[in-house]
Amino acid sequence: MTAVSVPIEHVLVLAAALFTIGLVGVLVRRNVIFLLMSLEIMMNACGLAFIAAGARWAEADGQIMYMLILALAAAEVAVGLGLVLQLQRRFDNLDIDAASELAG
Amino acid sequence: MTALDFQALAPHLTLTGGLMVVLLAVSFWRGHRTAFALTLLSFVAAFVALWPGLDAGPREVTPLLMLDAYAAFFNGLFILIGAVTALLARRYLEGRAGSPEEFYLLLLMATLGAMTLASAQHFAALLLGLEILSISLYAMVAYPEEDHPPLEAALKYLVLSGVGSTIMLFGMALIYHSTGALGFAEFAASVATGDRADLWLVAGQVLFIIGIAFKLSLIPFHMWTPDVYQGAPAPVTGYLATVSKAAVFAVLLRFALDAQLLEFSSMAQLSIGLVLAIIAVLSMVIGNVLALLQDSIKRLLAYSSIAHVGYLMIALLVLNALPDGTMAVETTLVFLAGYLAMTLSAFAVVSELSSAAAGERDSIGEYAGLFWRRPVLAAVLTAALLSLAGIPLTAGFIAKFYLFAAGVEGALWGLLWALILGSALSIYYYLKIVFAMTVRGTDVPAVPTSAAGVATAAVLGLVVLALGIYPAPLIDWAGDIAQGLQRLP
Repeated sequence: MTAVSVPIEHVLVLAAALFTIGLVGVLVRRNVIFLLMSLEIMMNACGLAFIAAGARWAEADGQIMYMLILALAAAEVAVGLGLVLQLQRRFDNLDIDAASELAG
Repeated sequence: MTALDFQALAPHLTLTGGLMVVLLAVSFWRGHRTAFALTLLSFVAAFVALWPGLDAGPREVTPLLMLDAYAAFFNGLFILIGAVTALLARRYLEGRAGSPEEFYLLLLMATLGAMTLASAQHFAALLLGLEILSISLYAMVAYPEEDHPPLEAALKYLVLSGVGSTIMLFGMALIYHSTGALGFAEFAASVATGDRADLWLVAGQVLFIIGIAFKLSLIPFHMWTPDVYQGAPAPVTGYLATVSKAAVFAVLLRFALDAQLLEFSSMAQLSIGLVLAIIAVLSMVIGNVLALLQDSIKRLLAYSSIAHVGYLMIALLVLNALPDGTMAVETTLVFLAGYLAMTLSAFAVVSELSSAAAGERDSIGEYAGLFWRRPVLAAVLTAALLSLAGIPLTAGFIAKFYLFAAGVEGALWGLLWALILGSALSIYYYLKIVFAMTVRGTDVPAVPTSAAGVATAAVLGLVVLALGIYPAPLIDWAGDIAQGLQRLP
């Protein structure tokens, strides 16, 4: 049985597609929970790209970067959800535009 | 790791130790004064630990960190700014419902992240330092959580700064894919031998630069800056405007030097130089034009900081013409020392006049007649604003003079014209505030200030003037550091 190998570029294209989906999500969604989810998708796209690159060079560095990204995403979401709770308590609403008072 | 490695890391380790002590102390004895005193003590101890760290020498500790005089210069500045922020925050947070102790933990943590950035020479260290700094800052921005503007500012900052980080991360992943390098110097070695026009590499570098531009709030990636500066509590805004900008620029300059970002004459490298130059010109011109329209002093300072980071890009782009880096590093250090002093003193005054309980003194109208009500604070703010405008005998003049000299040596004429235009525009809005402060006979309710806060602001104001009148020690020091960093040919 021969191992079927996926070309590395395909994985990168997948990562880029995921990244774009996340970015579009951040730009068009107004609900804070969805904003955080979109950010998470972008971070995981970065993680996937790092793992693919690590596989290309047969090094563990890519996977280590992925673990750092996971830790960072968790920390960011922890603060983010804290803010979401505050937003819900104050406005009874998770729409980010509802909280928009500072002139742009 | 050897004993010498630990010695080189002494400032980081001391600050981490202090952080642990404060963490344990506030879990057993809640008390604003205890937390404040321990935090200040940690900053002092970390500052003292800079000297043993320097004695250990320029030293590479693991492939991630490079502890040299350049890092020590920035570490010293960040520790001092951290201490100043603690002094300002103490009175600001008093009278606020809820416990103020955790603020100091976040402040120590953010400073640790900034120090890591100043010594990072590897993408992993860059990522860790940047996120330790940013995530602590989100929480610091949102700290007075009963109020509406801080909450909105924190959410905007979290989302847009998160987008910036992920764009930069994706760039790093693509760079790693095409070069196999995560360290800055490895990157240069790999690009020198490999295919420089590799599409993934070009895309990776562009994304990396965009991510950095988000963090430095360069136009057109600046949209979060005015809202976050306005919504955040004044002491935090001061910290954000100084430490987070300087730390990111420190790592960007080190990356440009070690990775020889602007040195290859391939299309990809040339286009990165061009993109950076366009971003710099836009930031200088548009930043100053938008600052003209502001009525809120914090928003005004936000646009002014965008313009100043734009000016600073001249120091980076000089690498194009003078790749040995001496000029770029010396200019950056002199400029940033001046910029940090003047920006921090402006925010120190804003912070002294505001408080978490009574709200922010933000609109320029509320500064009317400040000279007659609070002469010391008004004098400090005047010194800071004149310095930001680049009037001689202030730190800002020396800073701009250095940029100008560097720009002439590097023959960056377009950028110099933008610098001149931007500075000319900026004089108007800085003087507008100064004139407002001299108006007589206005009645704005006074906020109780603290002797410590006023003294801090006064010392900062004197530093701004001292750097302008007698800059020789700073210039010599920056020159030495630049010589030490110079790459061997």
